[in-house]
Amino acid sequence: MSAKIGELIFLQQLAGRFKIPVPDFVVEPVNQSDIKKKLQVWGSGIVKPDVLAGKRGKAGTVHKVSDYREAMQLLKKVAAAEVGGLQPRTSYMVQSVPAEMELFTAITYNSKFISPSFTVSLKGGIDVESIPDSDKITIPVDVFRGLNAYQASEALSKLGLHGSLNSMLARCFVNQWDMFISTGMQSCEINPWRVTKDEKIFACDFKATFDENNFKFRDLGFEFPEYPSTEEAFDEEMRLWSAASHQGQAHVSSLGGKKILPILFGGGASTIIIETLAQCGGDPIFLSDFGGNPPYDRMKKTAEICFRHKLANASLLLILGGKANNTQIDVTFAAIADALEEWVAQNGPIHIPVVIGRGGPGLVQGLAVMKKTLENLNLPFVFFGPDTPITLVAAYAAKLANYSEIEGKEDQK
Amino acid sequence: MRAKSLSDILKKGDRIAVSNITGREASKVSIISQSYCRNIVAGWALGKDGQTVDVPGGKPIPVFGQFEDLLSALPDAKKPNKIIVYSPPDAVYGDVKEVLEHGKKFVETIFVITEHVSIEVTAKLKSLADSADIDIVGCNTLGVINAYDRTRVGAVGGDSPDEAFVKGSVCIVSNSGNMVNTIATYLKPAGLGISYGISTGKDPLILTPIRELLPLAMMDPRTQLVILYVEPGGSYEEEAIAYLKSLKCPKPVIVYVSGQFAEGRSISLGHAGAVVEGPNTTASAKMKMFDDYFGVPVFDPDHPKVFMSILKEKKRGVRVNALHDLVNAAMAVTDACGIKTDFSPTQPIGLNPWFKNFGAFEHKLPRTMIIHPGNIPEPYGSLVERYVKSGFGRIQTRQSMRNASHASSNDGVTPRIYGYSVMNLMNKGSFVESVLLYWLGHPLKHEFEIRLFEMGLIASLTNGPGTISSQAPKLSASAGNSPNTAMIATLAAIGTVHGGNGQEAARMLIDVFGKTGLTDPYNKKNAPDLDAIVRDYVKKFKERKVVDKEAGLHYEKVPCLGHPVFNKEAVNFDPRERVIAAYMDEHKIYNVFHDFYHRLTRGMTSAGVTSKVHAVNVDATLTCILMGIAWPLLVEKKITVERALDLPFLAFALGRVAGGAGEYLDHRESGTDMDMRIPVSECKFLGRVQD
Repeated sequence: MSAKIGELIFLQQLAGRFKIPVPDFVVEPVNQSDIKKKLQVWGSGIVKPDVLAGKRGKAGTVHKVSDYREAMQLLKKVAAAEVGGLQPRTSYMVQSVPAEMELFTAITYNSKFISPSFTVSLKGGIDVESIPDSDKITIPVDVFRGLNAYQASEALSKLGLHGSLNSMLARCFVNQWDMFISTGMQSCEINPWRVTKDEKIFACDFKATFDENNFKFRDLGFEFPEYPSTEEAFDEEMRLWSAASHQGQAHVSSLGGKKILPILFGGGASTIIIETLAQCGGDPIFLSDFGGNPPYDRMKKTAEICFRHKLANASLLLILGGKANNTQIDVTFAAIADALEEWVAQNGPIHIPVVIGRGGPGLVQGLAVMKKTLENLNLPFVFFGPDTPITLVAAYAAKLANYSEIEGKEDQK
Repeated sequence: MRAKSLSDILKKGDRIAVSNITGREASKVSIISQSYCRNIVAGWALGKDGQTVDVPGGKPIPVFGQFEDLLSALPDAKKPNKIIVYSPPDAVYGDVKEVLEHGKKFVETIFVITEHVSIEVTAKLKSLADSADIDIVGCNTLGVINAYDRTRVGAVGGDSPDEAFVKGSVCIVSNSGNMVNTIATYLKPAGLGISYGISTGKDPLILTPIRELLPLAMMDPRTQLVILYVEPGGSYEEEAIAYLKSLKCPKPVIVYVSGQFAEGRSISLGHAGAVVEGPNTTASAKMKMFDDYFGVPVFDPDHPKVFMSILKEKKRGVRVNALHDLVNAAMAVTDACGIKTDFSPTQPIGLNPWFKNFGAFEHKLPRTMIIHPGNIPEPYGSLVERYVKSGFGRIQTRQSMRNASHASSNDGVTPRIYGYSVMNLMNKGSFVESVLLYWLGHPLKHEFEIRLFEMGLIASLTNGPGTISSQAPKLSASAGNSPNTAMIATLAAIGTVHGGNGQEAARMLIDVFGKTGLTDPYNKKNAPDLDAIVRDYVKKFKERKVVDKEAGLHYEKVPCLGHPVFNKEAVNFDPRERVIAAYMDEHKIYNVFHDFYHRLTRGMTSAGVTSKVHAVNVDATLTCILMGIAWPLLVEKKITVERALDLPFLAFALGRVAGGAGEYLDHRESGTDMDMRIPVSECKFLGRVQD
């Protein structure tokens, strides 16, 4: 789970608190006279959208301006322009910093070291993927002691940067670490740090991801910003429902498919099943993982949300998982069966096939409950046990969905 | 001590302690693990000191408040060397720290089962474990199984580990816990068993990843083949492959890499750590790295010959594109590398439907899509016979009911019974039908059932002051007790012999009629051939009686037959039963169970099974009424068989406790203190005076 922020929240909420030098800025809506005053001092500014999408340059929505009238227009225009399909939260203008040097730094958790790591490059200002390995240094950071100025300075020295600037930058990097560890971040990147001719340092762009499992994230000291999202109502409801409890998974990710409604179990199994469905033309509506032994109420509400949003337009209902270690099949199947019965009671009968494959504790009792429900609802069904591989079941379901779809279309005629 | 072999991670004789053992998951899994391998020595959970986790057929697992207390209480020989952490996410750090502070001398490995542990805490756990020189597996691992030693930690193998994990030569290392169990099941058709099954977990940081486990598997004498289930995210595989490349003769590896479909799409996969963090961490990159290492293209089940010739030369293993290809790939790799299978391959893997009912939909399918139900393997086949094909009664699922009820609710405005407003029942219903709603969860289908049940309750009120259930409230009144105590005394004086016979009658009726396909017990036309059923029942009863008598055993009796007063008459009736029978005749109500009972009394006499002329007593009649009400709900699987069996006893208890209250009121007003006492002079001593 992750929550992200961009440069504006960093400027408004974090930079000052952690003594990270940043350029001055104004946020839309802003008075014309205020913009005029700022530009008179700054000389020029950069107008940017506050949006969590796009690479550097934000798909052409970042503009350098020196005229206050143009700045005013651009702030309005940029705030309204979609970037990568996302609507910006607002727009803002930062002081333009003429730079002699640009650096890149990132702090993240690193699977190689199984600890935090700090990466620095003197080739900042370009996308990090474009920086060759030889031009950047990554060092592990002791999670208890943190990044110290000596380590940061040594990394800069290895890149050929010495002297007073080395020392000043090292202090900035330590402050970046303090922010990272104090707020429960999972990763944070400043790209670029801009250094002026007179060796003044400014953090000029920023992005960070928080670890929502970290208790520090729950008390950041400011209200977490709500970025406009294109998230479907289904995904949004499931995300909130997922966050409502740690008992059992309620993870979904919409795939835009139109055929199979997949109620899947297991982080690995769900990935494999969706992959198989996609390969075989099953066109799954979403990816789901409802494993982790959800109690009856949790599973029933999860199924109820899925059915309410997606069942009416599905060609096939797939209930599939590997051989569960811990999830009670009787409990989860009874919950799904009850949710299905209630949906039909409220919305009228459906005629799509139901394909089920599962193994685990209480399997046969679960199948008995599900079989009875499907018979009552007069739905065509087939059950597979744990002796049939999930990938074979998924491939069969994908083919079956095609005939169900044809049947549905014929019925509509 | 860090593991130098796979058996150092888990072996027979390891002593396990479980954190938060009283939690929902931990207690359930611990009970199963204890039944499987008895390796748990104790658990701890804050505030639960002194409790136990009961293990059916085994010793209870002691629970301590803190880990330090656990260590102090156990002798050195029983002190845990392995720890399973089931603590809530925010408590994981503290619990692991406590283990390391106090148990450094004993503990070798910590398995963190907990999900949603923050990455910062995960990194800190690694740092702590490294400093203490112990291994830590997880977070979010499902556990590890050592199939050779038949021992496990965590939930690998679910509630029946023996089913999937037969000892053999394959080590499974998987980012998914479910896949450990699933892959082990799929390998059986290839004749391959399991040495170790290891769930690494797939959080953003994996504390004991494949790069650390693979060297142990390569050195493990039992392991001949390694199967990896890999997801995107992390550089672990890159380093593992570098290790494999450094070996002269590595053991063969089969790998399945999932998650390629998600590339280029902003979707999150099931596991938190399945997130791409660099160029070599995508599914595609991992596939390519493995393919390059193997030196053979991805396994192609359609062209085994081409594949085999390269595989025999390289002997490094292969990647599969579909999970079900694992079986054929495993057979090919073992063949190419000269590895003996562990046992005879079982039934080949394929689509094996257990149940199917496509109805009219099947007509739209081409012939190739039509599948037919196959054999259901054991132990499922027997369970299916019991739960699915017998088709009787609801299979109830279980959950914590501490703050939940299906039976009642109150939203602060309307108290309800199974969703029906108590106020509406008060306005339009009766006490009797409300009670049955509460007991059955469904309203009655026929008006006459209310009257029949009411008559049964009236009959249950009393059978005179001499019955022991009437004596009890009188004794209570005589002792000066309060009304509720007298009512409890009434209930305490009924049991399986007095009052409980109705339950036996219900069990007999379900046994007899459950197989007949009976759906409507009030429909005489569709009733089964009762004479044939009676003949069969009497014949079998007679046979059992003869055998028991010859063996000198107390022989079985037909429940609810007989009347203590009129059993010598040519025609024998319980007068209370007659009232109910007359009402049924008058209102043309047929009850197949009641009919059966009368035929049975006649059948018993005419077959010479008994010299007495039995009567259908009022308990049988009440049971017949209740089974008439409950039968359609059993057929429709709306109630459980157990619930139906309880109904006659509940009805008798309800009637009799009201009757007991009447005896109490009378006795309290008219009796004298201690008047139920038996004078000492009337009491006999049957023993011998000893001093």
